[in-house]
Amino acid sequence: MPPASRRVDLAAVRALAPPLLAVLLAFGVTGILIVAAGKNPLLAYWSLAHGAFGSWDRIAVGLNRATPYALTGVGIALCFRARVINIGGEGQLALGGLAATWVALHMVPAPRPIATLCALGGGVLAGAAWAGLAAGIRLKRGVHEVLATLLLNFVGLLIVSEVLQGDLGEPGSGFPQSPLLPAASWLGRLVRGTDLHVGVLIALAAVAVGHVALWRTPFGFRLRILGASAPAAAYAGISPARALMSVMLLSGGLAGLAGAIEVLGVHYRLIDGFAHGFGFNAVAIALLGGLNPLAVLPAGLFFGFLETGAVAMQRAVGVPTPLVAVIQGLTMVFVLSAMGLTAGRRRV
Amino acid sequence: MTEFLAATIRIATPLVFTALGGILSERAGVFAVGLEGMMLAGAFAGVITAFLSGSMLAGVAASVLGGAAMAALAAVATTRFRAEQMVTGLAINILAVGLTSFLLRGLLGHGEAPTIRVSPLAAMPVPGLASLPVLGPVLFSQPVLTYVALVAAVAIYVFLVRTRPGLTLRAVGENPAAAFAGGADPLRVRMLAVTCGGALAGVGGAVLSLQQVGTFTDAMTNGRGYLALAAIIVGRWMPFGTLLACLLFGAADALQLRVQGLRLPVSSYVIQMTPYVVSLAMLAGFGRTAQLPAAIGTAFARDRPSS
Amino acid sequence: MLGITKSYGSVRANRGIDLVVPPRTILGLLGENGSGKTTLMNVLFGLVRPDAGTITFKERPLADHTPREALAAGIGMIHQHFMLVPAMTVTENVMLGWDAAGRWLRPAAVAEHIRTASHRYGLDLEPDARVGALPLGGQQRVEIVKAILRGAELLILDEPTSNLSPPEVSGLLDVLRRLRDEGRSVIFISHKLGEVLAVCDEVVVLRDGAVAGRARAADTDRAKLARMMVDRDVSAPIAREEGAPGAERLVVADLVASDATGVERLGGVSFSVRSGEVLAVAGVDGNGQAELVDVIAGLRRPTRGHVFVDGADVTARGVTGRRQAGLAHIPADRHTTGLVGDMTVSENLAFRDCDGPPFRRGPWLDFGAMRAAATERIARFGIRAGGPDVAARTLSGGNQQKLVLARELTRRPGVLVAAQPTRGLDPGATRFVIDEVLAVRASGGAVLYVSTELEEALVVADRIAVMYRGRFAGVMRRDAVDITRLGLMMAGALTESPDAAALYGRKAR
Repeated sequence: MPPASRRVDLAAVRALAPPLLAVLLAFGVTGILIVAAGKNPLLAYWSLAHGAFGSWDRIAVGLNRATPYALTGVGIALCFRARVINIGGEGQLALGGLAATWVALHMVPAPRPIATLCALGGGVLAGAAWAGLAAGIRLKRGVHEVLATLLLNFVGLLIVSEVLQGDLGEPGSGFPQSPLLPAASWLGRLVRGTDLHVGVLIALAAVAVGHVALWRTPFGFRLRILGASAPAAAYAGISPARALMSVMLLSGGLAGLAGAIEVLGVHYRLIDGFAHGFGFNAVAIALLGGLNPLAVLPAGLFFGFLETGAVAMQRAVGVPTPLVAVIQGLTMVFVLSAMGLTAGRRRV
Repeated sequence: MTEFLAATIRIATPLVFTALGGILSERAGVFAVGLEGMMLAGAFAGVITAFLSGSMLAGVAASVLGGAAMAALAAVATTRFRAEQMVTGLAINILAVGLTSFLLRGLLGHGEAPTIRVSPLAAMPVPGLASLPVLGPVLFSQPVLTYVALVAAVAIYVFLVRTRPGLTLRAVGENPAAAFAGGADPLRVRMLAVTCGGALAGVGGAVLSLQQVGTFTDAMTNGRGYLALAAIIVGRWMPFGTLLACLLFGAADALQLRVQGLRLPVSSYVIQMTPYVVSLAMLAGFGRTAQLPAAIGTAFARDRPSS
Repeated sequence: MLGITKSYGSVRANRGIDLVVPPRTILGLLGENGSGKTTLMNVLFGLVRPDAGTITFKERPLADHTPREALAAGIGMIHQHFMLVPAMTVTENVMLGWDAAGRWLRPAAVAEHIRTASHRYGLDLEPDARVGALPLGGQQRVEIVKAILRGAELLILDEPTSNLSPPEVSGLLDVLRRLRDEGRSVIFISHKLGEVLAVCDEVVVLRDGAVAGRARAADTDRAKLARMMVDRDVSAPIAREEGAPGAERLVVADLVASDATGVERLGGVSFSVRSGEVLAVAGVDGNGQAELVDVIAGLRRPTRGHVFVDGADVTARGVTGRRQAGLAHIPADRHTTGLVGDMTVSENLAFRDCDGPPFRRGPWLDFGAMRAAATERIARFGIRAGGPDVAARTLSGGNQQKLVLARELTRRPGVLVAAQPTRGLDPGATRFVIDEVLAVRASGGAVLYVSTELEEALVVADRIAVMYRGRFAGVMRRDAVDITRLGLMMAGALTESPDAAALYGRKAR
């Protein structure tokens, strides 16, 4: 292997040090909180781990949960690399699920896997379009992409709620959700007998493609230069507008894909609020992964397993599940602080 | 109609406090994305303290501290450690949701979600003025915190425009180097601004939990912090404009609650969208975000130019 | 100020300078880039501590002081880059940081002060105007009124006319005269002879960190001052072959461009550079050189005009198109533009050419080719680096510039645009750069060499042009260089139109 890429992997590993420390610190602080609540933190963490990894069933759920995180996280990491902040992941994901639902419901006679593929494709297009809209507003009207993606985020979620009340809704179900999707469109199981679905492979593929794209292609090279130094990028003839649009479309498409996977692989229908928390958590995951697509995978797994383990932790030790959000939030704050301090000394 | 207007003002009150707090932060150059978390922390601190101590006043005081505490964390991270402002705000929001729900269960409910009940603040009619037609029930028969909100808007305006510290704060948000040349410490100013902004947002949360519902439920702010952010944008970062924007959004919310009964052709979700769409349109329409405080989002380092 | 000495490492910015400013005097401080003017004033204002020397102000010593203390003593400095808040009004900007304005602001009272001062000194300022909407001359006057209201008795103005239009310049000079008549003193730092002679009572010329001459404005003329400013040995220490310039390779026609704030910086420049020729562009920084280089290199769009490389119109083509046409560019700022510090040497050598062979193979970057090219160039150019995989920021300044040269020159460019290529380099590295530039010339390339270092320009150039206020003040052949004339052109004394005298308010000499 040429030394250049070996060095890249080494740098990726070294870049994990501050996030790892941040996680440990977060666990430490949370441990104090657990003590304040009158419980034993070590016991709590042990049951957390057990709940996450204790059985194959549990691991399957954790992997499922990590899938949308990893997918969206890769896209957001690429955005961050080019100094673009996309925090509208939740809306893009929700619209992706919406599109997938619509396609699945309207492609009734189609067989597997065509129905699934078309539905997934619909999800990608919808997510990409929504992110592209924000990018367009940014490029044409100068609105900062954070504000544009944030505001469109809420609009997207409301669109999904609205549609579920009307055309796509299942009347009489007492809850805003779509009818059950035709089985031909469902994502297949990876391991029989568990909940683990094929989406995990898609996420793995996305992580690999993201990594390769960032480190081995001219496109990724351009992103990294743009993120390192805007004047140098101009000097190299890189168009910031083109880079922003491509990276937003890419991340929107990945978020939409994640939404489609959730709908087709986990719920088998569109449920109001299914996208809750994914967008902002994906930002956290991208940061935790040091903006390296490969490292987004363990970060996504971390979040996914954290969430599945939390239920067991509550049942076993009585430590409430919201603790997980505390760990996630603290981790983010610590990683951001570390990144702020070391800006300019990171591997580009 | 009077009921609708009164409801508008009632619903807008938490937004007003939170948005005013956000103005302090943003005018000093720090994005106030964490308002949601600060509001939630205040809501929690307020109702818990009121429940445990029996005193509403203590509750409001606690909400100030709760919001300020969350904000202080964001302030230190973004000014001392130069963490990225927007994403830190997101982190604060995530943290606040987890922390408040956890503490609710851990401290009070022995692991499960307890129900806390506090009798919400009653309406305090202003003697004499409350009997005016229309204006009476709408403006002068509101609970005490609503009056405080309106006073606060005036106070913030006076502070920003008419006092030296306010001038310095605005200068830090526009051109920290110029403020520094004038003898101010931009980092300190920003930290104070963010923390005080969080305190105000905390009171906004107290309005929710102490004045409106009398209890705390998980993530009860439900996106109001982001609405406040939108209100600041629509209000052009000025207290009175933001006040109007909050009233507008309050009206939208009051409207969508009534729409089901009225069978209007417009869906309630679409109405809920309007604040966001309007903010976006305002940002886009007035081109190049010209009215944003010029140095917002930038870090200030003494020895090198702002990045 | 007596015996002021200040060194920055090996650079002796001030060498035992004496400067005396009597009351009711406008003193002009004249000198090129690097002559020590700014350092001297930074010492006076307390921004910098001198290594030796004393300062006495109003019969009281001033030592180890901060800018706040200097302000309190009565010294006010108007910087080239204003410390103003554009979104606020004049009144608010004046109140900022001014303790006397009080806790509770009284804008009406302050506005009254502003109006009074404005009337007294002819500043023409509206207290409620938004500073951002004022022209640059107006903003400068806000800075002046700030200094006056804080009680400054000595005002230092650093290159105050660099951003002003001619009518604004005459307005400023009037203001300075009024200030002097009201009992204050002014130190007027500039490189522009016409203005200095028009308004100053005394002139001190700095060169290379020392005083090159003093005179009363009434007793001297431009030629003498120009000579003092630029006097140096013109003989070239470097042997060069006589070139026979061939066809035109770089042609620039009527370029007009503005800078990022919309101020016009290039006012119609036309010239050509032939194969085997070096055209040096000299002049004090800030006269449009940066914009000229940016437009030719494709980093900035001109408002008008064209750029031709080997006959092809590349004006609209952008950086990549120009590179393909054979144009190489060494940017003035190697740290943030020329190189990406956090990337490796081999990546830096490739980052302008990543979209085609040899560094790109199909959809992939060819790291092997990048490393091979890097190794080869490290050897050829003698770059001292730990290898192709070290980060560029670990290299010394000289080696970083060699890296930039290696990238730009390997492709045998038809046209080379070099902007301040020896800035911050030691003599050895400087020599290397000059040799490489001459090598491009010898192989038939056309070189545009922009530099504020007059010595270098004289060594390297076949022809020297001088830029002043966005135009070429003149072009000289190397063998016909008249140093005094060069100095006059650099100081703007040779481009006057007949009504210049009216502009400056006094009879021009």
